[in-house]
Amino acid sequence: MFRMMILMFGLLAATGGFPPASAASAAKARVHVIVIDKMQYGPMPTGVRAGDIIEWTNKDILEHSATARDGRFDVDLKPGASGRITATAGTLAFFCKFHPTMTATVVVE
Amino acid sequence: MNKSLFALVLTLGLGSLAGAHAATPAPALNDAQIAHIAYTAGVIDITAAKQALQKSHNKDVRAFAQEMARDHAAVNDQALALVKKLGVTPQDNPTSKSLASGAAAEQKKLAALSGSAYDKAYVANEVAFHKTVNGALSGTLIPSAQNAELKSLLETGLKLFQSHQMHAEHLAQSLK
Ligand SMILES: [Cu+2]
Repeated sequence: MFRMMILMFGLLAATGGFPPASAASAAKARVHVIVIDKMQYGPMPTGVRAGDIIEWTNKDILEHSATARDGRFDVDLKPGASGRITATAGTLAFFCKFHPTMTATVVVE
Repeated sequence: MNKSLFALVLTLGLGSLAGAHAATPAPALNDAQIAHIAYTAGVIDITAAKQALQKSHNKDVRAFAQEMARDHAAVNDQALALVKKLGVTPQDNPTSKSLASGAAAEQKKLAALSGSAYDKAYVANEVAFHKTVNGALSGTLIPSAQNAELKSLLETGLKLFQSHQMHAEHLAQSLK
Protein backbone atom coordinates (compact mmCIF):
# COMPACT_ATOMS: atom_id res chain seq x y z
CA MET A 1 0.00 0.00 0.00
CA PHE A 2 2.75 2.41 0.99
CA ARG A 3 4.65 1.51 -2.16
CA MET A 4 1.57 2.18 -4.24
CA MET A 5 1.10 5.55 -2.65
CA ILE A 6 4.71 6.41 -3.35
CA LEU A 7 4.28 5.29 -6.93
CA MET A 8 1.09 7.30 -7.45
CA PHE A 9 2.72 10.25 -5.81
CA GLY A 10 5.64 9.81 -8.16
CA LEU A 11 3.43 9.64 -11.22
CA LEU A 12 1.55 12.74 -10.18
CA ALA A 13 4.79 14.52 -9.49
CA ALA A 14 6.25 13.43 -12.80
CA THR A 15 3.27 14.74 -14.74
CA GLY A 16 3.47 17.96 -12.80
CA GLY A 17 -0.01 17.47 -11.38
CA PHE A 18 1.07 17.71 -7.79
CA PRO A 19 1.82 21.18 -6.49
CA PRO A 20 4.92 21.02 -4.28
CA ALA A 21 3.25 23.10 -1.54
CA SER A 22 0.52 20.54 -0.78
CA ALA A 23 3.15 17.81 -0.65
CA ALA A 24 5.02 19.51 2.16
CA SER A 25 3.39 17.59 5.01
CA ALA A 26 3.79 14.14 3.36
CA ALA A 27 7.33 14.50 2.09
CA LYS A 28 9.52 17.29 0.85
CA ALA A 29 11.09 15.30 -1.96
CA ARG A 30 9.14 14.72 -5.14
CA VAL A 31 9.52 11.50 -7.11
CA HIS A 32 10.22 11.72 -10.84
CA VAL A 33 9.73 8.52 -12.79
CA ILE A 34 11.64 7.66 -15.96
CA VAL A 35 10.11 4.71 -17.78
CA ILE A 36 12.38 2.43 -19.84
CA ASP A 37 10.86 0.39 -22.66
CA LYS A 38 11.86 -0.95 -26.07
CA MET A 39 15.52 -0.09 -25.71
CA GLN A 40 15.00 3.54 -24.72
CA TYR A 41 14.57 5.91 -21.82
CA GLY A 42 11.17 7.62 -21.88
CA PRO A 43 10.61 11.38 -21.57
CA MET A 44 12.89 13.12 -19.09
CA PRO A 45 11.25 14.82 -16.11
CA THR A 46 11.55 18.59 -15.85
CA GLY A 47 11.65 20.81 -12.80
CA VAL A 48 13.73 18.34 -10.81
CA ARG A 49 15.29 19.85 -7.69
CA ALA A 50 18.23 18.68 -5.65
CA GLY A 51 16.90 16.31 -2.98
CA ASP A 52 14.10 14.98 -5.20
CA ILE A 53 13.95 11.28 -6.05
CA ILE A 54 14.62 10.08 -9.60
CA GLU A 55 13.17 6.63 -10.18
CA TRP A 56 13.75 4.41 -13.22
CA THR A 57 11.13 1.77 -14.00
CA ASN A 58 12.18 -0.89 -16.48
CA LYS A 59 9.18 -2.12 -18.49
CA ASP A 60 11.38 -3.70 -21.13
CA ILE A 61 12.06 -7.43 -21.59
CA LEU A 62 15.79 -6.65 -21.35
CA GLU A 63 18.03 -5.82 -18.42
CA HIS A 64 19.22 -2.21 -18.41
CA SER A 65 21.02 0.21 -16.16
CA ALA A 66 21.10 3.91 -15.40
CA THR A 67 24.78 4.67 -15.06
CA ALA A 68 26.09 8.19 -14.51
CA ARG A 69 28.79 9.38 -16.92
CA ASP A 70 30.64 10.91 -13.99
CA GLY A 71 30.26 7.79 -11.87
CA ARG A 72 28.03 9.24 -9.16
CA PHE A 73 25.40 6.51 -9.56
CA ASP A 74 25.00 3.11 -11.20
CA VAL A 75 21.51 1.59 -10.93
CA ASP A 76 20.97 -1.94 -12.25
CA LEU A 77 17.48 -2.58 -13.59
CA LYS A 78 16.36 -6.11 -14.29
CA PRO A 79 13.22 -6.51 -16.46
CA GLY A 80 10.23 -5.25 -14.44
CA ALA A 81 12.41 -3.72 -11.71
CA SER A 82 12.69 -0.14 -10.45
CA GLY A 83 15.57 1.73 -8.89
CA ARG A 84 16.00 5.21 -7.48
CA ILE A 85 18.52 7.83 -6.50
CA THR A 86 18.34 11.12 -4.66
CA ALA A 87 19.07 13.85 -7.17
CA THR A 88 22.02 16.15 -6.66
CA ALA A 89 22.29 19.49 -8.44
CA GLY A 90 23.77 19.61 -11.90
CA THR A 91 23.34 18.06 -15.31
CA LEU A 92 23.03 14.31 -14.87
CA ALA A 93 24.15 12.54 -18.01
CA PHE A 94 23.55 8.81 -17.83
CA PHE A 95 23.61 5.77 -20.11
CA CYS A 96 22.97 2.04 -20.06
CA LYS A 97 26.21 0.19 -19.39
CA PHE A 98 24.90 -2.80 -21.36
CA HIS A 99 23.50 -0.82 -24.28
CA PRO A 100 25.69 2.21 -24.96
CA THR A 101 23.25 3.56 -27.57
CA MET A 102 20.87 4.33 -24.67
CA THR A 103 21.74 7.77 -23.33
CA ALA A 104 19.84 10.61 -21.63
CA THR A 105 20.31 13.74 -19.53
CA VAL A 106 18.31 15.16 -16.64
CA VAL A 107 18.84 18.70 -15.39
CA VAL A 108 18.63 19.05 -11.61
CA GLU A 109 18.25 22.57 -10.22
CA MET B 1 34.06 -9.55 -43.38
CA ASN B 2 34.26 -13.31 -43.75
CA LYS B 3 32.95 -15.28 -46.72
CA SER B 4 29.83 -16.60 -45.07
CA LEU B 5 28.76 -13.15 -43.92
CA PHE B 6 29.46 -11.84 -47.39
CA ALA B 7 27.27 -14.56 -48.86
CA LEU B 8 24.50 -13.58 -46.48
CA VAL B 9 24.77 -9.92 -47.40
CA LEU B 10 24.49 -10.96 -51.04
CA THR B 11 21.45 -13.13 -50.35
CA LEU B 12 19.68 -10.35 -48.48
CA GLY B 13 20.89 -7.63 -50.83
CA LEU B 14 19.74 -9.46 -53.95
CA GLY B 15 16.34 -9.93 -52.39
CA SER B 16 15.83 -6.21 -52.03
CA LEU B 17 17.36 -5.43 -55.43
CA ALA B 18 14.99 -7.83 -57.12
CA GLY B 19 12.15 -6.13 -55.29
CA ALA B 20 13.22 -2.71 -56.52
CA HIS B 21 13.83 -3.52 -60.18
CA ALA B 22 11.46 -6.28 -61.19
CA ALA B 23 8.35 -5.27 -63.10
CA THR B 24 6.25 -7.40 -60.80
CA PRO B 25 7.38 -7.42 -57.15
CA ALA B 26 9.55 -10.41 -56.34
CA PRO B 27 8.05 -12.71 -53.72
CA ALA B 28 9.04 -10.97 -50.50
CA LEU B 29 9.80 -12.80 -47.29
CA ASN B 30 6.68 -13.73 -45.39
CA ASP B 31 6.31 -13.24 -41.63
CA ALA B 32 6.95 -16.92 -40.90
CA GLN B 33 10.30 -16.68 -42.69
CA ILE B 34 11.16 -13.33 -41.14
CA ALA B 35 10.48 -14.71 -37.67
CA HIS B 36 12.70 -17.69 -38.48
CA ILE B 37 15.57 -15.47 -39.63
CA ALA B 38 15.38 -13.21 -36.57
CA TYR B 39 15.16 -16.20 -34.23
CA THR B 40 18.08 -17.91 -35.98
CA ALA B 41 20.23 -14.79 -35.63
CA GLY B 42 19.50 -14.79 -31.89
CA VAL B 43 20.33 -18.48 -31.50
CA ILE B 44 23.61 -17.99 -33.36
CA ASP B 45 24.68 -15.21 -31.04
CA ILE B 46 23.72 -17.19 -27.94
CA THR B 47 25.74 -20.18 -29.19
CA ALA B 48 28.74 -17.94 -29.85
CA ALA B 49 28.35 -16.45 -26.35
CA LYS B 50 28.30 -19.89 -24.73
CA GLN B 51 31.49 -20.79 -26.55
CA ALA B 52 33.04 -17.53 -25.33
CA LEU B 53 32.06 -18.32 -21.75
CA GLN B 54 33.81 -21.68 -22.06
CA LYS B 55 36.94 -20.32 -23.70
CA SER B 56 37.59 -16.77 -22.55
CA HIS B 57 39.30 -15.72 -19.32
CA ASN B 58 38.98 -12.01 -20.04
CA LYS B 59 36.59 -10.32 -17.58
CA ASP B 60 35.21 -7.82 -20.12
CA VAL B 61 34.80 -10.40 -22.86
CA ARG B 62 32.94 -12.70 -20.46
CA ALA B 63 30.65 -9.87 -19.31
CA PHE B 64 29.91 -9.07 -22.95
CA ALA B 65 29.16 -12.72 -23.74
CA GLN B 66 26.83 -12.95 -20.74
CA GLU B 67 25.00 -9.88 -21.97
CA MET B 68 24.64 -11.35 -25.49
CA ALA B 69 23.26 -14.63 -24.12
CA ARG B 70 20.86 -12.86 -21.76
CA ASP B 71 19.54 -10.26 -24.25
CA HIS B 72 19.09 -12.58 -27.20
CA ALA B 73 17.40 -15.22 -25.04
CA ALA B 74 14.94 -12.56 -23.82
CA VAL B 75 14.14 -11.40 -27.35
CA ASN B 76 13.83 -14.96 -28.65
CA ASP B 77 11.48 -15.89 -25.79
CA GLN B 78 9.36 -12.92 -26.79
CA ALA B 79 9.50 -13.96 -30.46
CA LEU B 80 8.39 -17.50 -29.58
CA ALA B 81 5.50 -16.20 -27.49
CA LEU B 82 4.48 -13.93 -30.37
CA VAL B 83 4.51 -16.59 -33.12
CA LYS B 84 2.56 -18.89 -30.81
CA LYS B 85 -0.01 -16.16 -30.21
CA LEU B 86 -0.25 -15.44 -33.93
CA GLY B 87 -0.45 -19.14 -34.78
CA VAL B 88 2.54 -18.80 -37.10
CA THR B 89 5.10 -21.58 -37.53
CA PRO B 90 8.56 -20.14 -38.24
CA GLN B 91 9.63 -21.31 -41.65
CA ASP B 92 13.18 -22.23 -42.66
CA ASN B 93 14.50 -20.41 -45.73
CA PRO B 94 17.74 -19.74 -47.66
CA THR B 95 18.66 -16.70 -45.54
CA SER B 96 18.34 -18.67 -42.28
CA LYS B 97 20.35 -21.51 -43.80
CA SER B 98 23.04 -19.12 -44.96
CA LEU B 99 23.21 -17.54 -41.50
CA ALA B 100 23.42 -20.92 -39.78
CA SER B 101 26.10 -22.40 -42.04
CA GLY B 102 28.19 -19.22 -41.79
CA ALA B 103 27.95 -19.33 -38.01
CA ALA B 104 28.91 -23.00 -37.84
CA ALA B 105 32.03 -22.30 -39.89
CA GLU B 106 32.90 -19.34 -37.68
CA GLN B 107 32.42 -21.37 -34.51
CA LYS B 108 34.81 -24.03 -35.80
CA LYS B 109 37.41 -21.37 -36.63
CA LEU B 110 37.08 -19.82 -33.17
CA ALA B 111 37.30 -23.22 -31.47
CA ALA B 112 40.88 -23.56 -32.75
CA LEU B 113 41.98 -20.31 -31.08
CA SER B 114 42.76 -19.53 -27.45
CA GLY B 115 43.79 -16.70 -25.13
CA SER B 116 43.83 -13.17 -26.48
CA ALA B 117 43.80 -14.41 -30.09
CA TYR B 118 40.44 -16.03 -29.35
CA ASP B 119 39.12 -12.93 -27.53
CA LYS B 120 40.01 -10.64 -30.41
CA ALA B 121 38.57 -12.98 -33.05
CA TYR B 122 35.34 -13.53 -31.09
CA VAL B 123 34.77 -9.81 -30.58
CA ALA B 124 35.69 -8.96 -34.18
CA ASN B 125 33.18 -11.54 -35.37
CA GLU B 126 30.54 -10.12 -33.03
CA VAL B 127 31.04 -6.69 -34.61
CA ALA B 128 30.72 -8.15 -38.12
CA PHE B 129 27.77 -10.37 -37.23
CA HIS B 130 25.78 -7.59 -35.58
CA LYS B 131 26.54 -5.28 -38.50
CA THR B 132 25.22 -7.85 -40.96
CA VAL B 133 22.07 -8.54 -38.96
CA ASN B 134 21.46 -4.79 -38.56
CA GLY B 135 21.65 -4.40 -42.33
CA ALA B 136 19.21 -7.27 -42.81
CA LEU B 137 16.79 -5.96 -40.19
CA SER B 138 16.66 -2.39 -41.47
CA GLY B 139 16.98 -3.18 -45.18
CA THR B 140 14.82 -6.26 -45.58
CA LEU B 141 13.18 -7.80 -42.52
CA ILE B 142 11.49 -4.78 -40.94
CA PRO B 143 10.19 -3.33 -44.25
CA SER B 144 8.85 -6.76 -45.27
CA ALA B 145 7.15 -7.64 -41.97
CA GLN B 146 3.35 -7.52 -42.27
CA ASN B 147 2.23 -8.08 -38.68
CA ALA B 148 2.50 -4.93 -36.54
CA GLU B 149 3.61 -6.78 -33.40
CA LEU B 150 6.32 -8.65 -35.30
CA LYS B 151 7.47 -5.38 -36.85
CA SER B 152 7.62 -3.74 -33.41
CA LEU B 153 9.63 -6.64 -31.96
CA LEU B 154 12.03 -6.46 -34.91
CA GLU B 155 12.42 -2.72 -34.36
CA THR B 156 13.37 -3.31 -30.72
CA GLY B 157 15.65 -6.07 -32.00
CA LEU B 158 17.34 -3.60 -34.36
CA LYS B 159 17.98 -1.14 -31.54
CA LEU B 160 19.36 -4.00 -29.47
CA PHE B 161 21.64 -5.26 -32.24
CA GLN B 162 22.88 -1.70 -32.92
CA SER B 163 23.66 -1.31 -29.25
CA HIS B 164 25.47 -4.64 -29.12
CA GLN B 165 27.45 -3.64 -32.18
CA MET B 166 28.58 -0.45 -30.47
CA HIS B 167 29.44 -2.35 -27.30
CA ALA B 168 31.43 -4.88 -29.36
CA GLU B 169 33.26 -2.06 -31.16
CA HIS B 170 34.25 -0.46 -27.85
CA LEU B 171 35.40 -3.85 -26.59
CA ALA B 172 37.40 -4.50 -29.77
CA GLN B 173 39.17 -1.16 -29.24
CA SER B 174 40.07 -2.02 -25.67
CA LEU B 175 41.50 -5.42 -26.69
CA LYS B 176 43.99 -3.85 -29.10
CU1 LIG C 1 20.15 -1.29 -21.73
